[in-house]
Amino acid sequence: MTISLDRRKFLMGSTALAAAGAMGGLTPAQAADVHLRLYWWGGQARADRTNAVSDLFAKANPGFTYDKEFNAFNDYWPKLGTQVAGGNAPDVFQMDYRYIVEYAKRGAVQALDEYIGKGLDLSDFDEDQIEGGRVDGKLYAISLGANSVAMMVNTKAFEDAGVDLPTRDWSYDDYKAKADAFNSKSNGMRLLADGSQGGDPPLENWLRARGKALYTADGKLAFEADDLIEWFKMWDDLRKANVCVGPDDQALDATAAIDTTMITLGKAATTYANSNQLIGFQAVNKNPLTMINFPRPKAGVGGGHYRKPSQFWSVNPKSAHLDESIKYVSFFINDVPSGLILGVERGIPCAKHVRDALAPTLSAPDQLSLNFVSNLGDLLGKLPPSPPAAAGEVATQLNTTAQSIAFGQTTPEDAGAAFIKEAQDILDRAAKKA
Amino acid sequence: MTARSVGAASDPPGRAVTPSFWSRIWTENGPGYLFLLPWFIGFFGLTIAPILSSLYLSFTNFDMLTPPQWVGMDNYVRMFTNDPKFYQSMRVTLLFVAFSVPLKLAFALAVALLLNRGMKGLPIYRAVFYLPSLLGASVAIAVLWRTLFAGDGLVNQGLALIGIQGPAWISNPRYSLWTLVALAVWQFGSPMIIFLAGLRQIPQDVYEAASLEGAGRWRIFWKITLPLLTPVVFFNAIIQTIEGFKSFTPAFIISGGTGNPVNSTLFYTLYLYQEAFAFFRMGYASALAWVLLIIVAVFTGISFLSSRYWVHYDN
Repeated sequence: MTISLDRRKFLMGSTALAAAGAMGGLTPAQAADVHLRLYWWGGQARADRTNAVSDLFAKANPGFTYDKEFNAFNDYWPKLGTQVAGGNAPDVFQMDYRYIVEYAKRGAVQALDEYIGKGLDLSDFDEDQIEGGRVDGKLYAISLGANSVAMMVNTKAFEDAGVDLPTRDWSYDDYKAKADAFNSKSNGMRLLADGSQGGDPPLENWLRARGKALYTADGKLAFEADDLIEWFKMWDDLRKANVCVGPDDQALDATAAIDTTMITLGKAATTYANSNQLIGFQAVNKNPLTMINFPRPKAGVGGGHYRKPSQFWSVNPKSAHLDESIKYVSFFINDVPSGLILGVERGIPCAKHVRDALAPTLSAPDQLSLNFVSNLGDLLGKLPPSPPAAAGEVATQLNTTAQSIAFGQTTPEDAGAAFIKEAQDILDRAAKKA
Repeated sequence: MTARSVGAASDPPGRAVTPSFWSRIWTENGPGYLFLLPWFIGFFGLTIAPILSSLYLSFTNFDMLTPPQWVGMDNYVRMFTNDPKFYQSMRVTLLFVAFSVPLKLAFALAVALLLNRGMKGLPIYRAVFYLPSLLGASVAIAVLWRTLFAGDGLVNQGLALIGIQGPAWISNPRYSLWTLVALAVWQFGSPMIIFLAGLRQIPQDVYEAASLEGAGRWRIFWKITLPLLTPVVFFNAIIQTIEGFKSFTPAFIISGGTGNPVNSTLFYTLYLYQEAFAFFRMGYASALAWVLLIIVAVFTGISFLSSRYWVHYDN
């Protein structure tokens, strides 16, 4: 008896070893026991929801265990890059619209086309969200929610100043027209944050509404120095007219983290953001917030917005559990109880049956978020091609350039021309590398 | 003895009498090396190997996703011919070092002189003045600094009391670097402790003789204290200069990792970090690291060469 007991112990021990081996990428001894490594960026709220869905999946499919890890967005990418380089990337990991081209071109994410209908159910998935996960015609990533750029609005600030809340029709001129009335009672608060220093979304929105774009499909700049000079001049004008915050204040928002944005610091009544962030903004803002579209360049001109995949799941092509990983992703986007748990925290669900089941259960701010993305109407344009690999660096450079104009170190004319050259240099350098 | 004879058995005749060189080394020092093994593994595995691979990577393009590609001197050529941000970060770092090191040393020496007058409760004062250095590189202090020097922070509230409208120290490119210099100077604790120890070393009879001769306080300081303290000044200057070049955390926290406003706080190390971990150019970042190493070595070398003209070793 004692011997058989020892053997059983030995067997248990070796199973544990096999499981540990699976983490390192070895094939597990028993196919029934699947250990999936999941990795995503986001806060605790997202982790709680993701864990709950993973538990549901494990309940429906006995034998699944997980190694779950999450990180802040900026810390996420160095770690993922290191793991991919070391050949030990997670089985399923979150992907961003900004990085998908880079990862797809390097073969670090699995092409999923052949699994559609065979393990991956996309039967009532929004076509534009499938399109968003394609690179060079192949599907590499599954959108976990649609969102759009949006401005957060401090409703109390408008009430106190006796100015009507902005509507979907407001252009930059409208904000300018209301500025004097607002400033006379706002105690130093301005109507707008400085959108020229808000990364590339405000510029992109403005360019698109004027029939241009940030990037072409082959990753080149899709606008000229003249466009940029006009954009910079508009902001110079808005700064001088006290429509937006001054450079000293705007520079406090170095990282675009929610708690240093102009609306949270009480410097501006609105701030540039994304529609799925309303919940996050409301959490650190005492005054009730609502959401409105980015200002139009001119009255009646739309098309600047688009429904962007806020984030994706991608699958590691070297995963020892490729089929199971894809099964997990399919469950994540289609299972209704899971959809109810996930809510709109990652954006609006892309599978219609999940969206329909979710809509009646949503709280007021979540409802606002759903309606905003669903009812963009004439503001909606088509999805731009996924940005080139160095887009993040170009956006950083754009901020620095706009900042030096705001501080009076250069002029819109000089900076516009200089930026085009710098951006092209950054893009060329990245293209040479690939 | 048996172990030796076994090792010697295969040796050519004639040498069999005395144990071989290696086996002698082993029996004499073997256990010692065995005990040193953990350190050797750490030194070669965690120090030497990464240093050598960074040297190799500095001649490559490496984005962490694909294997490194050899590009020869490209990274170094670009740095010196076509990279305005490299020069900007160099300018910022040199300004920072040029102002923060002398000011910090002067401050540390002044406080050490004050504390050296044999006051009561010296250990407490010493600890209190040292405290900022302990917290120095911490994130918390940088966050505190950010809050103190913000447009409506404590510093400007204080200035408002005496009727001065202070600027936004942190977020204005004209002042942002100087708030970092102030932060560095405030952390004068460790050079102060070393100065204090140096001051204790100066023999009292020299001072007695000087005051008998009628030398005033200033004269004693310039003619006795400072010359006898120069080895300590020299040591502190070198350590602080190296620290200055390596400074990273304050700029990273205060500018949110961007080096802004308008790259005015873009320390060299911060630029290196951005290239490596924001833009994934590990090869270029490695080249930047090696250039920094050379710069620091050159500055240290110049200090050593100059030391013979101003440092007095009184033996």
